[in-house]
Amino acid sequence: MPLTLLAQLSSRNLWRYRRRNLTLFAAILIAVAGCLLTSALLRGYQHDMMDDAIANLSGNLNVTAPGYRADPSIARGFALDAAFVPDIPAGEMLGWTRRVRIPAVVLSERETRGVSLVGVDPDDERAISFLGSVAIQGDSLSGQDDGRILLGVELAKQLDTGVGRRVVVITQGADGLNREAGFRVAGLYDAAGTSLEKAYAFTGLRALQKMLGTDAVTEVSIRLRDDRFSAGADRALTKEMGGLEVLNWRQLEPQVAAMFEFSDAAILIWFVILMLALAFGLINTLITAVLERVREFGMLRALGMRPGAVVVQVIMESVLIVVSGLVCGIAVGVAAIAYLSDGIDLSRWAQGVELAGLHSRLIPHLQTNDVVAVGAMALLLGLFASAYPAWRAVQIKPLDALRR
Amino acid sequence: MIEGQRPVVSCRGLSRVYGTQPMPVQALTDVDIDIAPGEFVSLSGPSGSGKSTLLNLIGALDRPTEGEVIVDGVALGGLDEAERSDLRLTKIGFVFQAYNLIPVLSARENVEFIMQLQGVAARERHARALEMLESLGIADLANRRPGELSGGQQQRVAVARAIVTRPALLLADEPSANLDSKTTQTLLELLRSINVERGVTIVTATHDPIVMRYARRSVQMQDGRIVADEAVSEGTVVRPA
Repeated sequence: MPLTLLAQLSSRNLWRYRRRNLTLFAAILIAVAGCLLTSALLRGYQHDMMDDAIANLSGNLNVTAPGYRADPSIARGFALDAAFVPDIPAGEMLGWTRRVRIPAVVLSERETRGVSLVGVDPDDERAISFLGSVAIQGDSLSGQDDGRILLGVELAKQLDTGVGRRVVVITQGADGLNREAGFRVAGLYDAAGTSLEKAYAFTGLRALQKMLGTDAVTEVSIRLRDDRFSAGADRALTKEMGGLEVLNWRQLEPQVAAMFEFSDAAILIWFVILMLALAFGLINTLITAVLERVREFGMLRALGMRPGAVVVQVIMESVLIVVSGLVCGIAVGVAAIAYLSDGIDLSRWAQGVELAGLHSRLIPHLQTNDVVAVGAMALLLGLFASAYPAWRAVQIKPLDALRR
Repeated sequence: MIEGQRPVVSCRGLSRVYGTQPMPVQALTDVDIDIAPGEFVSLSGPSGSGKSTLLNLIGALDRPTEGEVIVDGVALGGLDEAERSDLRLTKIGFVFQAYNLIPVLSARENVEFIMQLQGVAARERHARALEMLESLGIADLANRRPGELSGGQQQRVAVARAIVTRPALLLADEPSANLDSKTTQTLLELLRSINVERGVTIVTATHDPIVMRYARRSVQMQDGRIVADEAVSEGTVVRPA
């Protein structure tokens, strides 16, 4: 088959019907760029959700004793060697920490609230959890032996307490008896009004272990540089920490994981809807193009062009338009995403944004697999949309066409 | 036709009916004709006489309702569409009334088109196309597209395209219909020289008496039948002995 000739004819025909083809090209460009931009924004939303879930003490991976999730008490703690380091390549791990996380009651002079009391190493937390990024009124915790307490702004409001004041914490010790201790409020963390502020109170890890009368921890949390490393790290930790339960953030935050999967599906549905709409436009235009050139196709057949070559020519013309629109659409989409790389400021709609689980600045995040998916869909669309017009072209009888 | 010489075209019992019951149109009825290599035949007759139908059947553009067409030894009846395309590509050159050049290709590229379909190497087809355009006196128009050429120039390019691959048969359907008398004269001189100098067999369907005069054999048709088949000398119609 004379592919060079067909390519020559196809490319010149594109220019011959330039107004119509430019319209089609523009439609494909806008659809592809729009697909990429909206998918990048949705991916940005997904990243916000994932980052929040991971930073909300889950980490990418979290190791606990079996049964701890159902009964998160110090009785479900486990001993961890002081020299323990997760067996995960340094290049894949952003940081890790050990914690004691137990239910407790916090009492001020006026109010009482139930919280999760978390004993932390403040230095480790800075790299891996939201404690490293939130604004703090007053002091941060100074170390594992810091016996003061860090409360959320919202919890402090509910307890009607503040920085420098004292609160009493009651929880169950390792021996199963209630322990009660007074803590001075070191500072108030501001997690942008989220429920975290009401859920967690922090103190030094060793100070809490001392209060509970144990050296045990209830969890090891690992933050990876990329969630892609999660499966490998999971296997390594399961092997290293036999008998303990290794869970990833999707298992720890199933609601967020479900939202994540939903937005994956939403992106796919959006791609398909846009591409189908485009397909109808493309089919319509290509059929018109074929019908306008019935005589020409008939003449090509009369001169000896095989039916298969006519099919290839029609498909080639369609694919050329689609590929041009696709390449330029990707370029425009990537440029728009780069332009918005500092994010879109959503603070004007702060309340709604928070309800939707978004950050006040939505940063688009382009994923290579989305570009590949859009590219593959557009190419398939080009082939699919040209199949019917090509079939119509090949049905043209040379004699009938020449009589027109 | 010389005794024992294989005809380029042989039609036997050729009929063609268009449409279906209850209003079929009998375009051709039981036509027998042989055309020898090197002949210049004009098919003439009034509209609806069947001359274009016969030309289309010979050109493998249509299939007869009955009868058989053999072109250069190949029976067309058993060929599928792709094989018919191949036959048209390799054995038949076409010149159409409306020129039918490919609008996006230059004159040279139009002449190269058939060779390109045949897979002739670029250098060779380029040289042959230029040589052909030169021999038809239109080499200076080689890079112009059909839209930039006059009707006569386009028809010359179409002739160049039709004969550059040295087909066994050149079919011309009303080649002068869109040309003025002077351009028609020039075209016919060209066809005659192609016939005489290159030995190309030419069959043309025409209304035009000038075209009929240039042919060496005149086949007259009426109501789908051949009513006269005569040898022609320049300017005079002569019945064969």
